Amino acid sequence: MSNRIVIDPVTRIEGHLRIEAVVENGVVKDAFSAGTMVRGIEKILKGRDPRDAWAFTERVCGVCTTVHALASCRCVEDALGITVPKNAELVRNLMFCAQYVQDHVVHFYHLHALDWVDVVSMLKADPVATSKLAQSLSPWPKSNPGHFAAVQQRLKKFVESGQLGIFANGYWGNKAYKLPPEVNLLAVSHYLDALEWQKEIVKIHTIFGGKNPHPNYLVGGVPCSFNLEEVNAINTERLDFVGSLIKDAIEFVEQVYIPDLLAIASFYKDWGAIGGGLQNYLAYGDLPTRGYNDPSSFLLPRGAILNRNLNEIHEVNGKDLNEIKEYISHSWYQYGGGDGVGLHPFKGETEFNYTGPKPPYEHLDVEGKYSWLKTPRWKDHAMEVGPLSRMLVAYAKGNTDVKELVGVVLKKLDVPITALFSTLGRTAARGVETQVVAHWMKGFYDDLISNLKNGERRTFNSSRWEPATWPATAEGVGMTEAPRGALAHWISIKDRAIDNYQLVVPSTWNASPRDAKGQRSAYEEALIGTPVSNVEQPLEILRTIHSFDPCIACAVHVYDPDGKQVHQVQFY
Amino acid sequence: MTIDPSGSSTLVLGIGNTLLGDEGVGVAVIDHLHAKGGLPADVDLLDGGTGSMVLLEPMRKVRRMILVDATADGSPPGTFQRLVPRFCTDFPPSLTAHDIGLRDLLDTFYLLGETPEVVLYAISIRFPQEIYFGLSAEVEAAVPIVAERIRQELYEA
Repeated sequence: MSNRIVIDPVTRIEGHLRIEAVVENGVVKDAFSAGTMVRGIEKILKGRDPRDAWAFTERVCGVCTTVHALASCRCVEDALGITVPKNAELVRNLMFCAQYVQDHVVHFYHLHALDWVDVVSMLKADPVATSKLAQSLSPWPKSNPGHFAAVQQRLKKFVESGQLGIFANGYWGNKAYKLPPEVNLLAVSHYLDALEWQKEIVKIHTIFGGKNPHPNYLVGGVPCSFNLEEVNAINTERLDFVGSLIKDAIEFVEQVYIPDLLAIASFYKDWGAIGGGLQNYLAYGDLPTRGYNDPSSFLLPRGAILNRNLNEIHEVNGKDLNEIKEYISHSWYQYGGGDGVGLHPFKGETEFNYTGPKPPYEHLDVEGKYSWLKTPRWKDHAMEVGPLSRMLVAYAKGNTDVKELVGVVLKKLDVPITALFSTLGRTAARGVETQVVAHWMKGFYDDLISNLKNGERRTFNSSRWEPATWPATAEGVGMTEAPRGALAHWISIKDRAIDNYQLVVPSTWNASPRDAKGQRSAYEEALIGTPVSNVEQPLEILRTIHSFDPCIACAVHVYDPDGKQVHQVQFY
Repeated sequence: MTIDPSGSSTLVLGIGNTLLGDEGVGVAVIDHLHAKGGLPADVDLLDGGTGSMVLLEPMRKVRRMILVDATADGSPPGTFQRLVPRFCTDFPPSLTAHDIGLRDLLDTFYLLGETPEVVLYAISIRFPQEIYFGLSAEVEAAVPIVAERIRQELYEA
């Protein structure tokens, strides 16, 4: 007998995702991932001024707004042959790093930790023992018994009020939770500290982007006016503040996030052999140090890995019509040339064709079309994208910062390198990346300060700002890495307006349905073999899905009037 | 009045996705209040867009918050209610498209020990919304009415 578990929507993610998993004898045998609402930003952009596209695309999501704006500016710059000044590159890198550090920490504590941490068990913890444990792990100052007792009291009151709120829908007490009460208390305490801290780091976006959420970007540079002595410009005082935010970020990551990650992971080492899924990894890379047109200068390198072979990194070209293609065999779209073909984004089409059941429904027709996500492929391979892919490509390319920290983490957990290819590996790679990026952020900051002190204040290249300087037609691609994986925008400009605009977003790579050949995408493949100890509480499925940090908001759009968790188990 | 929160005592926060038609009505109300001006000096207006956790920072500085958002509660489009929610379950259905939603955000906010006054103006929209930019006529008509109610409320306190 097998059970079919439906989780719709998957909660603690941004956006709306539905997972159907077939469980046999306590193990997932097959899985289907569906984005259940439609995306259509491309239709809004057609005919508009290419210089405005970033402001629209950054509204598709509240989480990774900055990276969509960045990809958008870059695709226009690529099309028109614009190179941004050095200071603009540095400011973009700083905003990128701030986004990563904030987003990864929020993911770990607020979206993923509760798959591993039992909030209710924390109420049984001994604050004195928790304090001892905390002090053995890290010099973080908020580690005395009084602090932990106070946190426990605060949470107790919250739970007793009967309004669990963000802690509702948890599978508390499930035997797959392995942490002692003290580790649970430590993690919940840092859940609150992380909330306090994350609201500070995003001020970097407000300072350089003028506002938050949805900071300002600019085709050709960044909309920042630097003048160290001027009150109304980004001056010494503002920059000192950025410096102190970066220092705090490094401290938080090193003293709180990484020690917690290691402490929690040490109780779940079996997850180093679960949830590996696809064997192919793709990273577009980012953080240029000598311009976007020189990928060899990226601190996060570009490349593809096939069959987990770390000895060979394949080159990736976003403009080659034979590399990246989107298929719709199982997606609710139609292509003019037939549904069996794959289209490069320059040739991309966005024609809806919903053939699914009328909601509410029990099951999707997984033999036919079953998702609003298209299925992207690289040279027809299904690829995983995200922190694990980026860290594997960086590791394989010999990045010393990444190699060193990956080594430390593997040694501390006493697991082999193959443990990276797993649910635990994905979560650990995100931590490694956060620490490395936090330090790189300091480097970019120092470079910016030294440029400004040398009198270099340019932040904008205006040479191709006027549409009169543009060719009649132009095409460009803007590639970047959202925190959750490879992101690119493709633009075709005709008569100074947008003719076609396509986004291929990270969760499309990871959460998409099967392709025409039946190859599963990353979520579906990663779930195969996942143990499920209690089909009524599919906690293990959530662990693997959350390890990817799903963010479906830009992959699809959300219309769910009830917002309730539909969790059905079918027996057949 | 400023559009960039700077430590004032009241925050008017409009939330919504402007790429989803009427879903962006919360942002439209903020734009309207900003364009008309003439609000008390200690009031901040914020276009919260689809922002989620990043909104905690401007929220934490204030004594009183007036939230403006769309709801798909089945009422005629353009009608609105004024609510004083305390818990996530007090919210009307679906303030989404920004799915680590307002409900979660507010609960997180309370978890941090914050206790400002919270008022929510929930404007009904049709469900589902098409992907387009701009508001339907019925919902557009509600914008100045809701804005005026908020203006009155700001002067009452």
